[in-house]
Amino acid sequence: MATSQPDNPYRDLDEQIARLMKCQPLPEESVKALCEKAKEILVQEINVQPVRCPVTVCGDIHGQFQDLLELFKIGGNSPDTNYLFMGDYVDRGYHSVETVTLLVALKVRYRDRITILRGNHESRQITQVYGFYDECLRKYGNADVWKYFTDLFDYLPLTGLVEGKIFCLHGGLSPTLDTLDHIRGLDRVQEVPHEGPMCDLLWSDPDDRGGWGISPRGAGYTFGQDISEQFNHTNGLDLISRAHQLVMEGYNWSHDQNVVTVFSAPNYCYRCGNLAAIMEVSEGMAKSFQKFEPAPRRGEPEVSRRTPDYFL
Amino acid sequence: MANNAGDDQYLPIAILIDELKNDDALRRLNSIQRLGTIALALGEERTRSELLPFLIENNDDEDEVLLAMSEELGKFVPYVGGPSFGHTLLQPLEQLSQVEETVVRDKAVESLCKVAEQLPNSSIGEHFLPLIKRLSQGEWFTSRVSACGLFAVAYTRSTAAQQTELRQLYTQLCHDETPMVRRAAAQKLGPFAAVLDRDAVSRDLLPLFTDLTSDDQDSVRLLAVESCGAFAAALSKDDCSASLLPVVQKFAQDKSWRVRYNVAAQMVPLCEALGPEMTRAELVPAYIRLLEDSEAEVRIAAAGKVSAFSRMLTPPLIVSQVVPRVKELANDSSQFVRAALAGVVMELAPQLGKQPTIEHLVPVFLNLLRDPYPDVRLNVISKLDQVNQVIGIELLAQSLLPAIEELAEDKHWRVRLAILEHIPLLANQLGAEFFQEKLGPQCMRWLEDQVASIREAATKTLQKIAQEFGPEWAKEHLVPQVLGMIKNPHYLYRMTVLVAISSLASFVSQEVFVSSMLPVLVSCAKDRVPNVKFNVAKVLERVAPLVDASVVSQTIKPCLAELSEDGDADVQFYARQALYACDNIQMQ
Repeated sequence: MATSQPDNPYRDLDEQIARLMKCQPLPEESVKALCEKAKEILVQEINVQPVRCPVTVCGDIHGQFQDLLELFKIGGNSPDTNYLFMGDYVDRGYHSVETVTLLVALKVRYRDRITILRGNHESRQITQVYGFYDECLRKYGNADVWKYFTDLFDYLPLTGLVEGKIFCLHGGLSPTLDTLDHIRGLDRVQEVPHEGPMCDLLWSDPDDRGGWGISPRGAGYTFGQDISEQFNHTNGLDLISRAHQLVMEGYNWSHDQNVVTVFSAPNYCYRCGNLAAIMEVSEGMAKSFQKFEPAPRRGEPEVSRRTPDYFL
Repeated sequence: MANNAGDDQYLPIAILIDELKNDDALRRLNSIQRLGTIALALGEERTRSELLPFLIENNDDEDEVLLAMSEELGKFVPYVGGPSFGHTLLQPLEQLSQVEETVVRDKAVESLCKVAEQLPNSSIGEHFLPLIKRLSQGEWFTSRVSACGLFAVAYTRSTAAQQTELRQLYTQLCHDETPMVRRAAAQKLGPFAAVLDRDAVSRDLLPLFTDLTSDDQDSVRLLAVESCGAFAAALSKDDCSASLLPVVQKFAQDKSWRVRYNVAAQMVPLCEALGPEMTRAELVPAYIRLLEDSEAEVRIAAAGKVSAFSRMLTPPLIVSQVVPRVKELANDSSQFVRAALAGVVMELAPQLGKQPTIEHLVPVFLNLLRDPYPDVRLNVISKLDQVNQVIGIELLAQSLLPAIEELAEDKHWRVRLAILEHIPLLANQLGAEFFQEKLGPQCMRWLEDQVASIREAATKTLQKIAQEFGPEWAKEHLVPQVLGMIKNPHYLYRMTVLVAISSLASFVSQEVFVSSMLPVLVSCAKDRVPNVKFNVAKVLERVAPLVDASVVSQTIKPCLAELSEDGDADVQFYARQALYACDNIQMQ
């Protein structure tokens, strides 16, 4: 009908996204080019990346690709719905490659519609232990794709700030960072260090005890309600939104509503039995949560105990 | 393809060949997986004289590498010079079919069959039959297990004398002293029976089947049962009833639940082979017993066959024998049993006819629709149309509609979705007035569901309803309600309205569209959220072909032109795409 195709500079990218939505990994060269483009975009973002409302805030995904699709089914597709992901896209689940490639592709295609922050798993060291490295090797036969992504991870912003009021990050606070300006001043383009302010942002957890505590994780700190209240007060914030910890209901308020934990990997590691959640922040900055269950698994009939193939 | 091969022919090939010998198993695996490329580069001659001998010598590798090798060699006939050289692949595959790891062996057997299919008949006799013989008489059980899988492919290609020998060899395997071999023989009995003529099956294989089914190892019996469906199809009816039926009846009461499970799983092919009369006379008691089995797994398998099995029965027989069990199963303690039943029970309605369905089945449906487990409810809903055809919409509405209205608000979104997807069908059956009264308001509520997929599906459903009831009805009952929702304070819901407008546009008159819907679109172009604005652009692009050129030039294009200068990059992009499309329409 039309005499010529409208000129769409994103045609290839749109095709790649369509392919990724079917859980098919991209060829190695495409991943390389995609990471290069993503780097150009992310390098322009700052450590405390400003984000406009309305936006839907999501926690850990951990390679659970089918559940990421379920998240989109619940929350709406990108770019119609604005998203902010608070890190941990890779490791643990079976589809880290497809998951992180899709999120990066969406970032490249719709940079104003989606924000992707860095989690403690977006690191060379951690991914070598928890699965992403092995998955890349298995799916591509070499470690190049792992290298493209981990090099890209160095550029991911550490935190996001929704309308100056909701401070979003993967882990939590750091005793060395009192203000957002301190965070803005960090040099983030590097591997996640073993200690120090950048490490703390990606590793810390809120705790029932007041003050700073030693984290059982061996990195970051625990911080009490007094710390959260002080930080929010100093920086004129309403809320610290973070991920990093499994919470059975998908989200969890703590520190007298100064902190919320959002976790978006349902039935984490395919065995924890938890719900996932996303936090929708409306145009009026009202927060509502949607909980969801794991996507139905294809090809697994509902049988509690199946006949094994052999009995030897 | 040819180009690609040309590209990687030189340097990479050398690397691939080198890496066949690499110390790192992963590198070897990578190379083996591209064995075809290597062979293509070497050429047929050198593949036969160098690559295959190399593979034959280097078959002591990790299982993963051997598995890949087994798989690749199955596709290798073209690389060695075509079918007349296909036999050169038999030696490496024969080795692989004898290794310890089962998956490697199975894959090698699969590849051997693939290669054999392409061999000329002369090679079958000269090379493939001796291979079967060697494997069948191999010392270690692995080779004898592999042999079992090769008979079916060779049999039809052999001479009568050779066929006799094959049957004798298979008889030996069925009586092998190792249970593993008997298991394999039992497993392949069905496929083998399928290629034999009826007399031979009855004369030679039936005694073997009987022997295997009374094996003292229950794992052997189990596999023999699995082949009984295929076996039944290969036998005459008389042989079936004389020899197969007693075995099946006995197995339905076997002490191992796995055997009983397999009988239940084979029920449909069995009763199809036996035919309705014999099924009614002989199989009903056995099947009923399986429905009442003490093990949930057996009941799951049996419950899932309720409608298929009942197809062999008469309505009175269904009512007297099957329905009482169905009523019990609908309250089974296992949710999986109830879900299996729910998936098929609606199919009984057309078999029973209207009155018995109302009397006996509707209570069961209602029961299942209120099941605490969502999959049970879902399974019932997805088969609703079958009942509808039988009992008619009025009765369905009276009896099932309350339950459906309840499910429309179910807390599981996939249940809501399933109901929503059945709404057009119900609308068609209910008629406009009844629909509007019973389900219309619910459809509007779905447009404001919290789950995005429900909202999206609701717009599609509205479109189908508008199509069903016509533009005048849509103008009155759909358009004002949908447009009223544009005031929603949340952007995601305003965008749903835009999508609904786009879905309804082709099913209302142009006058209604231009006078009431288009102004809403234009006003949304000034929304404070960019996502709404670029969706306006997308919708305008979609509706432009539906309206007069003057509307496009006076309303749509000016609106898009403004959006194309928006501060947001995505709004700009979609507005420009839409403008481009509008220009294209105008050029036509």
